[in-house]
Amino acid sequence: MASVAESEFPLASRRRRRFTRQRIGRVLAPYALLAPAATAIGVILGYPLYLLVKMSFEKYGLFELIRHKGRWIGTANYAHILHDGEFWRVLARTVVFTAVTVTLTMVLGTAMALLLLQVSRWLRVAITTGLVLVWSVPVIVAVDIWRWMVDYEFGVANWTLTKLHIGNFIRHDWFANPWTGFGVITALIVWGAIPFITITVYAGLAQVPQELLEAAAIDGAKPWAVFREVTLPLLMPIFVILTSLSIIWDFQVFQQIWVMLDFRPTSDYYTMAIYAFHQSFQISEYGLGAAIAVVMVLFMFGATLVYLRQMLRTGEVQ
Amino acid sequence: MKARFLVAAVLAAMLAVAATTASGGTSRTQADKIVVWLQNDAQNGWPEAVALANSNFKAQHPGVTVDVQYQSWGNHLQKLDAGLAGGDAPDVIELGNSEMTKYMAAGAFKTLTQSAFPNNKTWLQGLKSSCQYNGKLYGVPYYAGARAVIYRKDQYKGAGITSTPKSLAQFMADGKKLMKKYGKDSGYSAIYFPGKYWYAAMSFVYDFGGQIAVRKGGSWKGTLNSPQALAGLNQVARIAKTLTRASRTTDEANPQQALVFAKGKVGSFIGNGWEWPYALDEKLGDPALAPVVGAYPMPSHTPGKIMPGFLGGSDLAVPVTTKNQALAVDWIKAFTSTAAESEIAKAGNIANTTKLLAFNASNPKLAPFARAAKSSWFVPTSPNWANVENANVLQNMLVSIFTGRASVKAAANSASSQITRILNTGA
Amino acid sequence: MSSVTQIAPTPVAPVAPRGRGRRRRTRQLGWNLLGLLVLAVMVFPVYWMVATAFKPGQQILSYTPHWVPTNPTLSNFRDAIHQPFFWNAVKNSLIVVSAVVALSVVLAFLASLALAKFHFYGRKAFIVLILGVQMVPLAALIIPLYILMSRLGQIDKLTGVIAMYLTFVLPFTVWTMRGFLLGIPKELEEAAMVDGATRFGAFVRVLLPLVGPGLVATSIFAFIQAWNEFIIAYVFLHTPAKQTLMVWLASFTTLRGTDWGPLMAGATLCALPVVVFFLLVQRRIAFGLTAGAVRG
Repeated sequence: MASVAESEFPLASRRRRRFTRQRIGRVLAPYALLAPAATAIGVILGYPLYLLVKMSFEKYGLFELIRHKGRWIGTANYAHILHDGEFWRVLARTVVFTAVTVTLTMVLGTAMALLLLQVSRWLRVAITTGLVLVWSVPVIVAVDIWRWMVDYEFGVANWTLTKLHIGNFIRHDWFANPWTGFGVITALIVWGAIPFITITVYAGLAQVPQELLEAAAIDGAKPWAVFREVTLPLLMPIFVILTSLSIIWDFQVFQQIWVMLDFRPTSDYYTMAIYAFHQSFQISEYGLGAAIAVVMVLFMFGATLVYLRQMLRTGEVQ
Repeated sequence: MKARFLVAAVLAAMLAVAATTASGGTSRTQADKIVVWLQNDAQNGWPEAVALANSNFKAQHPGVTVDVQYQSWGNHLQKLDAGLAGGDAPDVIELGNSEMTKYMAAGAFKTLTQSAFPNNKTWLQGLKSSCQYNGKLYGVPYYAGARAVIYRKDQYKGAGITSTPKSLAQFMADGKKLMKKYGKDSGYSAIYFPGKYWYAAMSFVYDFGGQIAVRKGGSWKGTLNSPQALAGLNQVARIAKTLTRASRTTDEANPQQALVFAKGKVGSFIGNGWEWPYALDEKLGDPALAPVVGAYPMPSHTPGKIMPGFLGGSDLAVPVTTKNQALAVDWIKAFTSTAAESEIAKAGNIANTTKLLAFNASNPKLAPFARAAKSSWFVPTSPNWANVENANVLQNMLVSIFTGRASVKAAANSASSQITRILNTGA
Repeated sequence: MSSVTQIAPTPVAPVAPRGRGRRRRTRQLGWNLLGLLVLAVMVFPVYWMVATAFKPGQQILSYTPHWVPTNPTLSNFRDAIHQPFFWNAVKNSLIVVSAVVALSVVLAFLASLALAKFHFYGRKAFIVLILGVQMVPLAALIIPLYILMSRLGQIDKLTGVIAMYLTFVLPFTVWTMRGFLLGIPKELEEAAMVDGATRFGAFVRVLLPLVGPGLVATSIFAFIQAWNEFIIAYVFLHTPAKQTLMVWLASFTTLRGTDWGPLMAGATLCALPVVVFFLLVQRRIAFGLTAGAVRG
């Protein structure tokens, strides 16, 4: 009974390499296994992605939208955005924002995972449960909570900061200045992202063999040195992946800013995703919006090149 | 056998995907149902009018159900755009009057025959013109809202103000008195005026004879930096500096200004008719304030006159994608009938016809708003105007002025050039 | 890297570094205090949501915050539940989430089997594809997606939304599952077969239990994504009776401002199922995610 199933076990099939139905099965099996997922992605995303790229080479405004037909204008959309000072400002802002948010997320998330190792067991359970609570709050809800906490008139944040004598924050307007405004948004995003990072890193730490740590400690290494010399290299793959995913997620940040600023962020708050949305839905230049999206994807490919290469390399090894 | 198991599993999964992606396919638009998108104001404010229209429509077309789906202002156009792109926008849609021109110009709506609709001879001129493009009618006026100053009678008396102001100068002077008497509380505002409240701010511009933009020989020019407009903006800047402690970066809806007013630290605010009862709301407002709240139209800088207010409002239109135009028109007729419009007026709005203005004038709680409605301004009627609103040009300018990040003149210059650029794009 | 990859997928409870006597106890106390502080800061926003949900309207809009709802009321919850279409939204969300979780787990398992256990032409391309897919900003995809969905007759249908969610969660889930399959030591598979089990039997008895945590981790991810998504549900589902909980939640913000009490009550209700689901499978999560990640 030649089977497709058996070829999942490379060891078994390696034993008898014959030119039989087994071999054919072995060649076709992965494609059969991949087919459902690939079909789903291909059908649902493939055609829209093709439309998106096509749109980016077209004049596609409200007029064209209603008639379901764009007008080919070559690379004019790309030329337009690349010559637009606004685009470069938004790109720079998004890059800085992503860098700050991802760094804070990773550092604080890892620090909390290390802290989990140090606290008593009951507290570890409490903190993990707390993290799970935070994780389970939907993004939209999280934005509403934070918006409510920093509310200008009735926010608990202003009141508390004033009572703590950090300054007079009564009627402090966090969003009057884009720096403090982005501070609040960054806090919100980091707060929401920490549970995923902490729990993952903690689980990674749990897999670091104790013998290695003890050996290093016996050799007289300080805790920080142990972390740097032993733990960090072991956890490197996790860090690379978490960082790459965080970059992908934070670079596209939309909902948090959009809802926090009442669906009408002023242009100081534009990030790439909001800029693309603005050009598409608000200015009705869907072609421009599509071009911005394409540029965004290319940019992110560049930013996550390290991860990509590592992924492909491990792909080869195994 | 194992092979069969795996193949079967793969097949089942593929079928599941195929089923989820390709099942169905029946068209939504059947002649036994029409879909209407109204904003959720109707849901909360005047459900009676909707019910009345539906029952009248039902009597006329017994076999047709009306599916009213409520939308929110924040992102309803996003949904409309998607519907237009996919060819399945609703049969009737409500649009804000300043959102109309862009869609009319792009050919998103069916043309309508004016004589077919109730009260078409007495439609409010301001709303009617927002429904017309190149001499054709694409929408039906639905309702309008006018703003007036809602104020605390007791605080005015306490500050020694004996009568409501009859000129802008007096309004400012009264504001100073209020600040002197109550302003020691660092949260007190003589007038609650948040930074992004551009409808209210632009009224000052129009009062001094300025305009947002003018059309000259086929092209537009932003004119917020004209001397008249600057005179108006300077008044707004003075209010921001001396009379208000409202947020410089939020608008009138968040936090809702009537509810802030209800907290007692606000002498007055510029609000819609419905915001008066809302401030007295049992759960969120303060019912105890009922005897001490009043309203008066915002006075002009010309003594004795009224400052023109933004004629905000909504229109109803029929998207080109509909297959039920006749039914859609019949529903609009039922919804804009005199009876239904009376219900809408009762909820604190201005009805779409001048015939019902007397209706509001006889109610003391609506009369100041009805008087204010007589003098109004409207946004430039360019297909690109919606883009100016969506690019937040006016809000950005006001926030710069309120926060002191730019001088009035610099902020107005920058806004004017942006408006010129946006309005002339693609023209 | 390889040393981590070799570790058998058995989570070892981390051991606190050993110290001696009183010094150790004071240090422990210090860490615990820090831990409590961190816990308080992290949980406060969630607490504030729940506390607000139990406060009467006058206490919510107050210049001096009420830390604890002194006159707790259920009226916000009543208002939220009586908001039209609440139960429809609950039902729809449950349908969407269970369909997405079930389908994504099955499809991801099959695909990851191919990626983890086979070498084939186009493998790298697929790997780059599933990463690249996550980079496309959703806001720009809405119109193209809508055009496709309306051609397939999937507008205003839960099936359409399920299909879209499925494709958005698949890349991540395939990747996580692949990590699990890679982590299963070949010796275990061999041992099972030496014991005389058939290959299929080995698959069921050995592979499946080991993949269990991966399935859990994957389903959690799919669960959260599908439960929390807003834009797609908002744009693609028109009929109020067909909308999901997140869209229902958005109806609390109107022109009349945000109705904070019922909104926070509604938000609490929406977060509840996720918390329950999480706590049920919590022990598995942490391990699940890492195993996937370590082998990325």
